Amino acid sequence: MSDGWSTNPTGLVRVVPAPASRLPGDEPRDIDPAAVAVERRGPGRAVVRTADRRKVPVVIGEDRPASPARPRTIEVVVDGWRFELEVEDAARAALRERATRARVHGSANGPLEVHAMIPGRVAGVAVAAGDTVTAGQTLIVVEAMKMQNELRAPRDGIVERVAVGVGETIDLGDLLVVLA
Amino acid sequence: MTSAARSDPRPSLRKDGPPLFARVLVANRGEIAVRIIHACHELGIEAVAVYSDADAEASHVRAADYAVRLGPPPPSESYLRADAIVAAAVDSGAEAIHPGYGFLSERASFAASVEAAGLVFVGPAPETIAILGDKVAARNLAREAGVPVVPGTLQPVSIDRADGIDPLIVEAQKIGFPLLVKAAAGGGGRGMRRVASARELPAALAAGAAEALSAFGDGSVYLEREILRARHIEVQLMGDRDGTIVALGERDCSLQRRHQKLVEEAPAPGLSDKERGELHAMAIRLGRAARLRNASTAEFLFDEDRRFWFLEVNTRLQVEHGVTELAADVDLVREQLLVAAGRPLSARLVAASIAAARPVRHAIEVRLSAEDPARAFAPAPGRIGGWRMPVGPGVRVDTAVEAGERVPPDYDPLIAKLLVVDADRASAIVRLGRALDEVEITGIQTTLPFHRFVAAHAGFQAGELSTGWVAQEWDAAVADIRQAALAIAAEAAAAVDAGRVVAGASTAAPDPSRLAVAEPADAWQLAAREDALDRWSR
Repeated sequence: MSDGWSTNPTGLVRVVPAPASRLPGDEPRDIDPAAVAVERRGPGRAVVRTADRRKVPVVIGEDRPASPARPRTIEVVVDGWRFELEVEDAARAALRERATRARVHGSANGPLEVHAMIPGRVAGVAVAAGDTVTAGQTLIVVEAMKMQNELRAPRDGIVERVAVGVGETIDLGDLLVVLA
Repeated sequence: MTSAARSDPRPSLRKDGPPLFARVLVANRGEIAVRIIHACHELGIEAVAVYSDADAEASHVRAADYAVRLGPPPPSESYLRADAIVAAAVDSGAEAIHPGYGFLSERASFAASVEAAGLVFVGPAPETIAILGDKVAARNLAREAGVPVVPGTLQPVSIDRADGIDPLIVEAQKIGFPLLVKAAAGGGGRGMRRVASARELPAALAAGAAEALSAFGDGSVYLEREILRARHIEVQLMGDRDGTIVALGERDCSLQRRHQKLVEEAPAPGLSDKERGELHAMAIRLGRAARLRNASTAEFLFDEDRRFWFLEVNTRLQVEHGVTELAADVDLVREQLLVAAGRPLSARLVAASIAAARPVRHAIEVRLSAEDPARAFAPAPGRIGGWRMPVGPGVRVDTAVEAGERVPPDYDPLIAKLLVVDADRASAIVRLGRALDEVEITGIQTTLPFHRFVAAHAGFQAGELSTGWVAQEWDAAVADIRQAALAIAAEAAAAVDAGRVVAGASTAAPDPSRLAVAEPADAWQLAAREDALDRWSR
């Protein structure tokens, strides 16, 4: 993997069906890749040995590398069931979830924390503490995978604090800006 | 070798009787169009395909000798355009039109306009299609032919009239509950409503009539008793222009979901020779009464008291005709073309009809569809990634798709029919399981998990079939089966991520210059767009 940050051969990985193949009740699974009994059977094929010692053939379809918008996504077909599975380092996944929760649960009145939805380098800071901003206005520009991503204000407000500076490397879930 | 011999692969079939067609138009798409084109080519007949814009590069277009565009993807603007199809046949010099199944295959007006244009319709006469397409008329015809019909009303009722409902409620009490409200003008479960008590009847009549009106342009309905825990058994009929009609054995199509067949087999398991003989005789009586020619199917319910009840006659080739072909060792589409050209039923077909009284082979078909069996069989169109179908003795696959092809959302989700044949039912089921293990499809969800479940199910193996089987067995088990597969898939994905297993296909990282053209404003917008594309993607 060229992007590096989605592959972590030593720690736990979190596997969750991508929205396209997720059903209610599908829970994320944290898996130690070193502990699973998966044998390769040539390109696109493998055999998984289950806890009750069955050998189940699986087909590996498409492998989409991680992008700023989503984790590495691997298509796996087992017994005719097709899954698009998002795979990422379990710790990173936890940060991503926290960031998502903050974005979803930020109230319209109280202070709103804006967290990083993608990791990268801060290429520009467009606002300073005390500035009045309107919804959709650019706050921060993050560069990731050679792309400039503009982070915009989710609602109207006054900038209470800017937590990062130009050139800083940020990780998923890092606090960037607080809006009052 | 003379040029005549080269251009005519089956000179023996051309020797006697009226000449065969030189060119036939196939008014269909998908696997059945390919199936018919193959049969044409094996008789030395050129095939003309028709296609919508969604199918410009489809298999049936590639397989045909000529192809005529009909219009945009919606069926009403393409495969249902009777005038355009007849014109295409005339313009391309075709002498006959084979309608396949679905689309225009059971429209008497289409068959009539084909004949009015001086062409041959490969199927029954327009008058036969008309009378059997009227389900109430067909019930009366069956009753007059001495064939038991499901208890119910024998006159269609239009409930627009205020005085229409009261007599129906009286009739319903006589028939008994539960009963079904059915559309007089059509089948396939449209316009059908189940009624458990007299109180529910008025609402069910209104809903059924409204649905029938929108589906068939005719809101007339009739009532039929619901036969509980019944099996669906149908008889393949074939007739020629001389009035000879034979039965080529029966099929059990009990595994259905909302009146859509999922698995079919021939012969029907567990029938005695006597029952089988009576069933075939009833079907032939129906065929004679309707002056049937070419291929048709008489459908019956078989109840717990081992009685047969007539349901309807389909005046076309069925989706599941292949199980009869394998069990009876005949080629029904070839016979259709020969009969349409004015030939009598072939000696081989007549011999097969006699042998069908005591079957010596067993065939099973499963319909692989682009549907998600975990989401109530919802359509799951998309682009097929990998595609591997089983091979080997006793295995047949009728399909029109390949790796990399898109399954369009505009048409039936059937993508392949997998058929197996062996000496008896038990060995055919073993062979089915083996063949299903070989199937590999990526890119889209299919009904494969359901079929694997059926093949491995003790109840199915024991022949315990009924039209309620899917709701009882599959709907109760599907969530657990999928979760077990998901647990294994997750382990495999973790192994791929760790570099221990190599994927079959890897997509390159998005090209930033290409994305710049579309100008995604930010990562969130990009993610939203990718999710939107995901619905049909890959």
